[in-house]
Amino acid sequence: MLLPALGAGVARAASFQDPAQALQSTTLRNGLTVLTLVDRSTPVVSLQMWVKVGSKDETRYTGLAHLFEHMMFKGSLHIPPEQHAQLLERRGARVNAYTTNDVTVFHEDVTPDTLPLAIDLEAERVANLDISEKTLTSERQVVLEERRLRTEDNPEGRLLEALFALSFVAHPYRWPVIGWRSDVEAVGVEQCREFFKTFYAPNNIVLVLVGNFDADKALRHIDRVFGRLAPVAEIPRNPTKEPEQRGERRSVVVFDVHSPTVAAAWHAPAAGHPDGPALDVAGQILSSGRSSRLYRRLVYQEQQALAAQGGYWEMKEAGLFFAYASVRPDGSTDRSEALLEDEVRKLRSEPVSDEELGKAKNQLQVDLVNDLATTQALAGRIGEDFVTFGRVRSLEERLSALGAVTQADVQRVATTYLGDDKRSVVRLVSPAGAAPKAKAPERGTRSAPARRSKP
Amino acid sequence: MKLQGRPALGVVLAAALFGCGLFAPKPAWLLPPPPIYDGPVVEAGKLHRATLENGLHVIVLENHRLPRVALGVAVRRGAASDPIDRAGLATFTAEVMERGAGDRDAFAFAQAVDGIGASFDVSADWDSMSVTLSGLSWDFDRLFSLLGDATLRPRFDKAEAERARAEQIASLESQKDDPGTLAKVHFAQLLYPDHRFGRPLAGTPEAVATFDAAAARQFHRQNFVASNAILFVAGDVHADDFVSRARQVFGAWPGGEAPPLPPPPPPVVPGERRIVIVDRPELGQAQIVLGHQGIARTTPTRFSDTLMNNVLGGGGFSSRLMESVRADAGLTYSVGSSFSLRRAPGPFAVSTFTRVPESRRVIDLVLQQLEHMKQDPPSESELRDAKSETAGGFALGFETSEAIVAALVGIDVQGLPENALDTYRANIRAVTTADTAASARDRLHPEGAGIVIVGPGAALAPALQGMGPVVVEKP
Repeated sequence: MLLPALGAGVARAASFQDPAQALQSTTLRNGLTVLTLVDRSTPVVSLQMWVKVGSKDETRYTGLAHLFEHMMFKGSLHIPPEQHAQLLERRGARVNAYTTNDVTVFHEDVTPDTLPLAIDLEAERVANLDISEKTLTSERQVVLEERRLRTEDNPEGRLLEALFALSFVAHPYRWPVIGWRSDVEAVGVEQCREFFKTFYAPNNIVLVLVGNFDADKALRHIDRVFGRLAPVAEIPRNPTKEPEQRGERRSVVVFDVHSPTVAAAWHAPAAGHPDGPALDVAGQILSSGRSSRLYRRLVYQEQQALAAQGGYWEMKEAGLFFAYASVRPDGSTDRSEALLEDEVRKLRSEPVSDEELGKAKNQLQVDLVNDLATTQALAGRIGEDFVTFGRVRSLEERLSALGAVTQADVQRVATTYLGDDKRSVVRLVSPAGAAPKAKAPERGTRSAPARRSKP
Repeated sequence: MKLQGRPALGVVLAAALFGCGLFAPKPAWLLPPPPIYDGPVVEAGKLHRATLENGLHVIVLENHRLPRVALGVAVRRGAASDPIDRAGLATFTAEVMERGAGDRDAFAFAQAVDGIGASFDVSADWDSMSVTLSGLSWDFDRLFSLLGDATLRPRFDKAEAERARAEQIASLESQKDDPGTLAKVHFAQLLYPDHRFGRPLAGTPEAVATFDAAAARQFHRQNFVASNAILFVAGDVHADDFVSRARQVFGAWPGGEAPPLPPPPPPVVPGERRIVIVDRPELGQAQIVLGHQGIARTTPTRFSDTLMNNVLGGGGFSSRLMESVRADAGLTYSVGSSFSLRRAPGPFAVSTFTRVPESRRVIDLVLQQLEHMKQDPPSESELRDAKSETAGGFALGFETSEAIVAALVGIDVQGLPENALDTYRANIRAVTTADTAASARDRLHPEGAGIVIVGPGAALAPALQGMGPVVVEKP
């Protein structure tokens, strides 16, 4: 394909093939979708099982999607607990899984001769998972340790949890992917079994295979072992939409830290919205590289922050635009917040420069090319697109949408979405920093989308 | 094979559709595993090496699948060469090198990098420092010229050095907010009280406070000499073209002489067990690191040592430690053990975490597993699995040409033979259970382990009674 010339004034066109062009989609009679992309130049095959269930689909017990992801490693009719991962690891495979607000993904990177084993093991646990009181009891404790590690004893985790709970008052994105502690403690075997029956059906699953394998052989194999699963008639989804935010929201989290953080989030469109590329460009101009606005201002010139970034975070049903500063132990939280606020205001009040626009587009273009470098990243891009949009966007389509973004677009999306009255601000401060001062101002966020949970 | 509780209709349909009969093959887990994938690490004809007249080594790995290129210069000295009272000097030098070179000041250099969507980094590890740039191959000329400037002509502006110093100190302070990092820092200090390895890679705030532009300039002058360096590239380039460009940009770089290697830490004397509690009263989870001095990257028994460790706690979800502490007892989310392989012997450490009231139980379990490994070393089947995991995973680690080149640079800076990647799997296969038993016997010393626990001291100190002398430290 021809990469369009994106950089302002610089001829950057060159031709190369989008490796995802050769993607094949197959749907089994039970509704299971299989996406295959053969690349014989690599020694690896990535198999990813995308199950269209995330924390947003939970009803009574938060954290169930993630807890369940753990239970998928705890044994089935023919495979004892832990053996799924161990059988694959013994052949050098990389095995893991993660849960987000929207999806649960099980992934295996294997050498080509191990693909049949990976396929059989995936099918076995979807067909015959065995959820017992005993395995749930021990795995619940593992998940609670994960929660302590990532959230309860982790300043960044605390802040993210607070930011989502503040930004969303109604939509299920308001609760953490790993769930509230009391729910994880309370959920029982019966609820796990019900969850499995409801969501782990073939018509709610997408298999992605990328790398060095024989597509016909793999499809026959998948049809044989997955084809016998029965589909479900209906997959229930939570109907709640987030109401419009009218006015700024603020909260404070107190934790024993040397380095406070300020974070802000604004409601932004869900994945696939035409304003997405312009929001990405805005995030890039704020954050990417040492010539970016937030680094330049907060880290370099004013020496208030150790790091400062912002960006667009798209999810299936809603999005957030966030900005944060990790304040230096010798810096001022108030000042950092004021600087963040000022940089976001500038995006609204004046057009970005030609040079910044070109730079942001070049950076995003390189990111897109880098995502093609490993089978795991490529399979991830394919799976993500398919479960979000029901199709896989070509590189060309994404590059031309990016190429079309103008300075006016960036200013327009900043004005539309990043208003002061539409933001939610969380400060994470030490007990000393939380003592009331005269009129504390607020602003800010924490590090980029880390709302994933691994088994 | 019959699947329970599912209608057989699908099986029949699938079988009919593909005409492969009613008897489905056995599932793959019942079949003997295929032989370990043993293809070459590098496709023939893609890897090129050269040495320029000034002693600069050049490594080129061609890969034209995507229009990407990653290039850099590494020198064979790093943070281990910091004098102990100047801990952090290599990291500081690297940071100042990122802030302006040639005709460009810090901002102009950043704009030149960011403008083409490139990535740029100067970093220090224990045994090396490296300047790396990556981007799209049609920007190769700009990338190569930036690499030349950053390597040969860093500006070491005074004001930039002052900023870098303040940031490095602030960053060291803020790292104390992360309990896991805190545990590692105190563990290193416990193991190597009088050696550079006992201070964090990025140094201590006290040492960093003494640095200035002149110190960075001097460290650069001593270590960045051509005979101590490797120029490397992976991706969409042509070897002949690259080598001739290398002569143009780096040919006049003085060969110089590599500074002497830093002193290794004194050899292990397994002594009595020592315990440090780092007091963080608000934590609900205790971070635990325990261990002692380990082996060097070039230690002759390293293949056997790492296979033994794979069985103990190095093997993903499959190790003895994962099985006992996570899977059976549900006491942690993660537990692992590793030898930190440096040019000189680095630490051997088991790292994990658990809810505070279970800390003692977890420490006991880990120590039991270490002792158990000595009494009951890897069985034939455990060793077989560890070998196939290690050798099988080897190919996966080299999916990208950048990863292969990084490994080739790594074996050079750590003093391994040039063919170490090619011989690796054969060396793994040659290990016997007698070898891993010797590794367990010689390399594990639970009785003399240093133990660091980060968490609430008031709750932890009583629980650890009877284990050995306990010291409570501040973060």
